[in-house]
Amino acid sequence: MTDFRKLTLGIAASFGLPWLLLIVVPAFKYQHIKPIAYDKEADGMDGYYPQSNANVLGMQVYIREGCVQCHTQMIRPSQFSADGWHKGWGEDQSARPAEATRANTMRDYLSEDVALLGVSRVGPDLANAGYRLAAMDRSAIHAMLYAPHSVAMWSNMPSYAHLYTVRKAQGPKSDLALPLTGKFAPAKGYEVVPTPEAEQLVDYLLSLKKAAPLPAAALGNLATAAAAK
Amino acid sequence: MQNPSPNVEPDLQADTLRRAAIDRSVKGPVLFLLTNGAFWLMASTVLGLLAAIKSFAPDFLGHASFLTYGRLQPAHINALVYGWGFQAALGVMLWLMARRSGQELRTGKSLMMVAAFFWNITVTIGIGCILFGGNTSLEWLEMPAFTWPVLLFCFMVFAWPMVSMFARSHRPEGFMISSWYLFGACLWFPWLFSTANICLHWLPSLGVIGAGINAWYVHGVILLFFVPVGVGAAYYFIPKITGQPIASAQLAKTGFWLLAILGGWTGMQRFMGGPLPAWMVAIGAMTGVLLLIPVLVVGLNHHLTTLGKHNLVAVSPTLRFVFVGSIFYPIAGIILALISSFWTGFTFQFTHAWYGYQIIAVYGFFSMVAFGAIYYIVPRLSGCEWLSVRLIRNHFWFSVYGIGIVVVTSVVAGLQQGGDLTAPERWDQSWISVVLNARPYLIARAVAWAMITWSNVWFLLHLMLMVAGLGRRSSAPTLLERHDDHSDPHLTHGAKA
Repeated sequence: MTDFRKLTLGIAASFGLPWLLLIVVPAFKYQHIKPIAYDKEADGMDGYYPQSNANVLGMQVYIREGCVQCHTQMIRPSQFSADGWHKGWGEDQSARPAEATRANTMRDYLSEDVALLGVSRVGPDLANAGYRLAAMDRSAIHAMLYAPHSVAMWSNMPSYAHLYTVRKAQGPKSDLALPLTGKFAPAKGYEVVPTPEAEQLVDYLLSLKKAAPLPAAALGNLATAAAAK
Repeated sequence: MQNPSPNVEPDLQADTLRRAAIDRSVKGPVLFLLTNGAFWLMASTVLGLLAAIKSFAPDFLGHASFLTYGRLQPAHINALVYGWGFQAALGVMLWLMARRSGQELRTGKSLMMVAAFFWNITVTIGIGCILFGGNTSLEWLEMPAFTWPVLLFCFMVFAWPMVSMFARSHRPEGFMISSWYLFGACLWFPWLFSTANICLHWLPSLGVIGAGINAWYVHGVILLFFVPVGVGAAYYFIPKITGQPIASAQLAKTGFWLLAILGGWTGMQRFMGGPLPAWMVAIGAMTGVLLLIPVLVVGLNHHLTTLGKHNLVAVSPTLRFVFVGSIFYPIAGIILALISSFWTGFTFQFTHAWYGYQIIAVYGFFSMVAFGAIYYIVPRLSGCEWLSVRLIRNHFWFSVYGIGIVVVTSVVAGLQQGGDLTAPERWDQSWISVVLNARPYLIARAVAWAMITWSNVWFLLHLMLMVAGLGRRSSAPTLLERHDDHSDPHLTHGAKA
């Protein structure tokens, strides 16, 4: 019987150690991280970092539709990857950004119960999609979700037609109607309008801005760490 | 150790009777789990085929909400893991544990049937929820939160009797490596499952740590549930069929303890370069690479045990599946090391290589071993022999080639995607060219899933006939004889080796 006990204890100890140190302690420790206030002198700006939170209602739609299967939300540091240099992956929307977008930090995901870092990158990264989509008309974003092929012929993004209603056009053209042309347009006399869920999803996508400047306090920590090396 | 040794006739007869009694005692739950598992495998491969087609032709079959890739893909993986994987694992574990501990299953059989029934109901509801709007987007935990307590309880209904059988039969002098692995799986999974679910569903604002725990859970289920069950079964069937004892008890113990020590640390390297604290990612990457040692130790031990008996791989369906499974095992270990190390991991991160790893671990390794086990176990429980060599061969070759194609194309597609994404000289190419570069691999994946679906149709049919008692009435097992070798060059080759 002692041998059985030894085996059980061995398994419990060998798994218990990572369980405690890697999961339990960090889970409780990092629940208490708070936003950092920008320092007016050092940062040249007021307020708190992170500046804005992701839209929670729209996040539910994003989660439900499984967008994470193809879209990540995580910019990696530029010494390991070209993430920060891709067009439209940061705040700078020019074809060749002058500076790499910064890598994400823990506080960028402060408002999320479980950060939606993503499974794979079949589609572009969405960590900073808010900046990119802000340049587009809201109805154009809807058109992209309704008929991805109207934007890129070879896109392999599914159509989220089930988030939209095709209805008979009555009276003047609705402001909400999607600007669809050619084979993507609905039958004559009909128009495609977003459901509230589609609006929430777009609100969420527009709220994805994880490239706010890091406050000196957070950078200070990094600098101290670098100096210690 | 395998054979209780005495050559005396009556003892052998008593032994056979005892084995038959053990088999009878677990028959109901084991056959129920294996048959339902096979149905889920069928469902999973069909969903996998659909998801693969949808991944390059999103308009296929129209725009219904439940047919979008974001819902099909998690439904496919969950059906594979919880529908097939866990049921096959529990069925094989229960039979093995009863046999290895030499005990009949005395109590709890009806509770087991109820638990197995509820497991299926819960997985059905869970996957229905994924498809119709209840997806949680937590990897491998996409089923809604209400499912996990039921699944955990059902698992415990099986795990508890297995643990107590193991405890009752544990003899210090008889070292039973396969039971060790199965015992480990009984402890590790509930621990992993409850930790991950409690953290992810109940602790608010975990943020990045939540994503880390999720990745840890996925690696944990692979390394501390599917791997121990698969390796444990291989440690039983390889010596059993080759008639040779396990080559080295020392290697077996080393492999077990290294897996136990390293398995719990790995997983968070999935988000390397990300917002997780660097030490958590680094330790995951380190253990992900170090796991090569226990993997290769086990591989070496299996190789040494099979040495000189390779002709049996051609003859015995069980050994053939288990053998191929244990070849996929070190390959899975190498893929894990490639996606884990900082050296290569950044290239493979967030690419199709991750899917390739999941499939080779759950299907290429675990399921192949489970198929081998099923070909051994079911005739002993149903009292008839497998009907057709041809069906078994069909199942084998289409599975091997199908899985091989899925894994190879996924890893190569990962290399392509990773190169497109991380190579500095391609930093300003348009996104659609990245998508187009990966497209041929996705088409190949769909073809491969079609092959696997084909193989599973025959497996399911064959298994259903067996469970219905419509197999061959014979005392001779169905072997993949060598008299029609000309149709199959691999067989002759194997026989000569």
